Amino acid sequence: MATAGTPAGAPAGPSAGGTGAGGGDAGAAPLAVELRGITKRFPGVVANKDIELRVRRGEVHAIVGENGAGKSTLMKTLYGEHRPDEGQILLDGREVSFRSPADAIAAGIGMVHQHFMLADYFTVLENVVLGSEPTRGGRLDRATARRRITEISERYGLGLRPDDLVEDLGVGDRQRVEIAKVLYRNARTLILDEPTAVLVPQEVDELFGNLAELKREGLTVIFISHKLDEVRKVADAITVIRRGTTVGTADPRTTTARQLAEMMVGTELPSPEIRTSTVRETPVLQLREVTVAAPTGRPPVDDVTLTVREGEVVGIAGVEGNGQAELVDAVMGLRPLATGTVRLGGDDITAWSTRARREAGLGFIPEDRHRQGMLLDAPLWENRILGHQTRPPAVKGPFIDRRAARADTARIMRDYDVRAPGPDTLAVALSGGNQQKLIVGREMSARPRLLLAAHPTRGVDVGAQGAIWRLLEEARAEGMGILLVSADLDELIGLSDTLHVMLRGRLVATLDPSAVTPEELGGYMTGAQTAAGAA
Amino acid sequence: MSVLRRVGLALFAPVLAVVVAVLISSAVMAALQVDPLRAFEVMVDFGDTPSQQVTALVVVLNRAVPLFLAGLAVAIAFRMGLFNIGVEGQYRLATVVAAGVGAAVVLPGPLHVLLIVLVAMAVAAVWAGIVAVLKVTRGVSEVISSIMLNVIALGIASFLLTGPLRGSPEGASIISTAEIPESGWVPSLNGVLGALGLANPPRQLYGFLLVAVVVGAVIAVLLNRTRFGFDLRAAGLSPSAASASGVDSRGMVVKTMLLSGAVAGLIGLPDLLGSTHAYTTDFTSGLGFLGIAVALLGRNKPIGIALGALLFAFLDRALVPLQIQDFPASVVTIIQGTIVLAVVVANEVARRVARRSAERGSGPAAAVAGDGSTGPGQSTGGPGAAGGEGTGAGVSRTTGAGQRTDERQETGA
Repeated sequence: MATAGTPAGAPAGPSAGGTGAGGGDAGAAPLAVELRGITKRFPGVVANKDIELRVRRGEVHAIVGENGAGKSTLMKTLYGEHRPDEGQILLDGREVSFRSPADAIAAGIGMVHQHFMLADYFTVLENVVLGSEPTRGGRLDRATARRRITEISERYGLGLRPDDLVEDLGVGDRQRVEIAKVLYRNARTLILDEPTAVLVPQEVDELFGNLAELKREGLTVIFISHKLDEVRKVADAITVIRRGTTVGTADPRTTTARQLAEMMVGTELPSPEIRTSTVRETPVLQLREVTVAAPTGRPPVDDVTLTVREGEVVGIAGVEGNGQAELVDAVMGLRPLATGTVRLGGDDITAWSTRARREAGLGFIPEDRHRQGMLLDAPLWENRILGHQTRPPAVKGPFIDRRAARADTARIMRDYDVRAPGPDTLAVALSGGNQQKLIVGREMSARPRLLLAAHPTRGVDVGAQGAIWRLLEEARAEGMGILLVSADLDELIGLSDTLHVMLRGRLVATLDPSAVTPEELGGYMTGAQTAAGAA
Repeated sequence: MSVLRRVGLALFAPVLAVVVAVLISSAVMAALQVDPLRAFEVMVDFGDTPSQQVTALVVVLNRAVPLFLAGLAVAIAFRMGLFNIGVEGQYRLATVVAAGVGAAVVLPGPLHVLLIVLVAMAVAAVWAGIVAVLKVTRGVSEVISSIMLNVIALGIASFLLTGPLRGSPEGASIISTAEIPESGWVPSLNGVLGALGLANPPRQLYGFLLVAVVVGAVIAVLLNRTRFGFDLRAAGLSPSAASASGVDSRGMVVKTMLLSGAVAGLIGLPDLLGSTHAYTTDFTSGLGFLGIAVALLGRNKPIGIALGALLFAFLDRALVPLQIQDFPASVVTIIQGTIVLAVVVANEVARRVARRSAERGSGPAAAVAGDGSTGPGQSTGGPGAAGGEGTGAGVSRTTGAGQRTDERQETGA
């Protein structure tokens, strides 16, 4: 998949126009933030590996990457929530070591969390000073606080009224309160974690206006996002993270959204070899005009129609948060449909329970295995039963067959190369890849007619990834239908027989994976390219 | 892993808790200028003659039976991550209604008892069911609703006792329901004591002991060996994973609360059918709250609950001898309270130890894993002193529990 402009692993095009020809290296002003070789491991996973980040003072620096790529881990490291196992953090050229967020705050780093941390029944003033209250004679010094907050608000154009109750504020205002909180603590570098995720377009524009003010005052902003268009609009420099490591930097002025998407999802992995189609005629899953309603706003899944046939892998591509998770839930029966029908084989399963769907031959590899796929505090053999509570071999009538469950777990561990001491091991003791292989093995063992695989290789190491891909291909060859939701373009292009692109809840394009390039696909995913002429 | 290590891990937390509780209580007693050694000596002194000793043993067992049932009722809900604080109201209401029904009918022996038992289970299950329905339809926290329903249940029980079901004459100092005819009594097990070569004590060993053992065994099998139990435990370990596996979370809430309530309905019956034969104004109260402590102590497993119930019963028995020896009765209450607090801490310590050893991959650590909801962030307020007013139970939920509630509310909306 090594496309001409972008050799494997070193996206030359974008980074050439990038950080001002290494100006930061030898330049006069030290970098506001520099991370060198940061590595952070958790039991069984390497969340960050050899991270290199160079942020100049007074710039808006975007960090982009898929969900799960390691952005949050990195920011937690920078904010002192945990310490890196290797590597250095330099602020203004000096090495620092944070024991807690308090240290980071003292060093001038502030974090605006994606989920606001505000007390609804407190006023703006009270929220801003909470935790670092100015006192006079042991009592809150409201006059001082009000003066400072007004000053901050005017200086950076935040437009805050100190006595408003936070409960009455809109999302955009709440975010500005969060920013004011950070500024009140004298932050010189602000980390904004997915700040636009909760905002409507006008609010996004206002936020960008605020960021420009911050920049003008000489503050540094680190902006985390996976929305490429916004990033290109607001950032002065971009660092891309993929699979836990920084893969390059880009200059937003000279880099297209497509190139960025390509860097984000990677193109260096070997594409599975050309193979013969195993698609048969019989449909196993048919979605007709499926719409999932949200309490407010546009429906997360909007009028989706698709068919998966026997022996076919249907891929759903899309940038995270465009309705894929809701679509998966709808197919599994975890979320009610507003309109539309779901058919499995010849049956209309629209009104069926999740259990009935599973019994009828629906297998499920969930996106978040810890949330939906496993009981972490239970032994592996109990996890073998999970999702298959009504079927042999682990169940006999109304009873659990412990012996058979253990034996079958041992078989899965052998056949699917799950590395663990034994069936009685707690699931939490396994690495992500081994947990995922157990889930895949468990779902495959039930021989489902349709396998719903959501990000099946997310967060697993390369070895397990290859193994899982192979398993999916074998199952497909045996006639299993697979609905594959992924954000990994190589995975989608390599495995799918048919590829749909999902954008804002709709299927906006249907592509032939053998003819599409990752760049084109990236274009459709971000809406930069439209379906005209496709399909 | 060796059986020894497994047992060791399982016992680690409760034993640690009891030891810590004894140490703290000793310190408190010393501060109150009570000699702790002397107090403990009185507590373990079961009397001199064989008859006295067997009597003491019978008192402990009779007390342990309702405590065991109460702990079991609480534990069933705990295993699914539900906090049935309403056991107190459930059993009091069930007992008064069952006493009324039992006194009103005459049936051949076993049938009469069976009817009383079924009525008690049904009443308590319905009362617990209200909590479940409120939770799945309106998203009301079961902690709040079950506490409130306690108050209502106690009110209704008083009304029934003083009104429609009153059997005692006007002006009697103790108001009671009419006495259940003898066909509705459960015979004592004193014959068994005799057969074992023990002295026949003046006290009657409750025949309901056998029922409790059977119920405990049934619940143990149900929770650990059946599909239903698996669904219940899965929902307790991870509601989201359980739903994705096909567990109907709303249905499980209803079923679990009905089951928990049905067991709660049995709590008052050992006393009712074994000795008092009528519900009275001074009928044993506070068992529902003590049950929370016992369940916690027993880590929500039937065997553990049985041991916890025996321990609490042993402490309760010590009340009278302590008072005779001029010790403050609060000694026992202090020990019970510190045990509960220590258990909460010790459980969390044991959970972390097990989890850490699991994460290091040093093999299975199933001991702590099994009991789902008991792990983090749950604490119980001081249990009511024996026979006294339940002091209420403050239960707080932290890690994970909040999210769990949210999810249920989502599906309930």
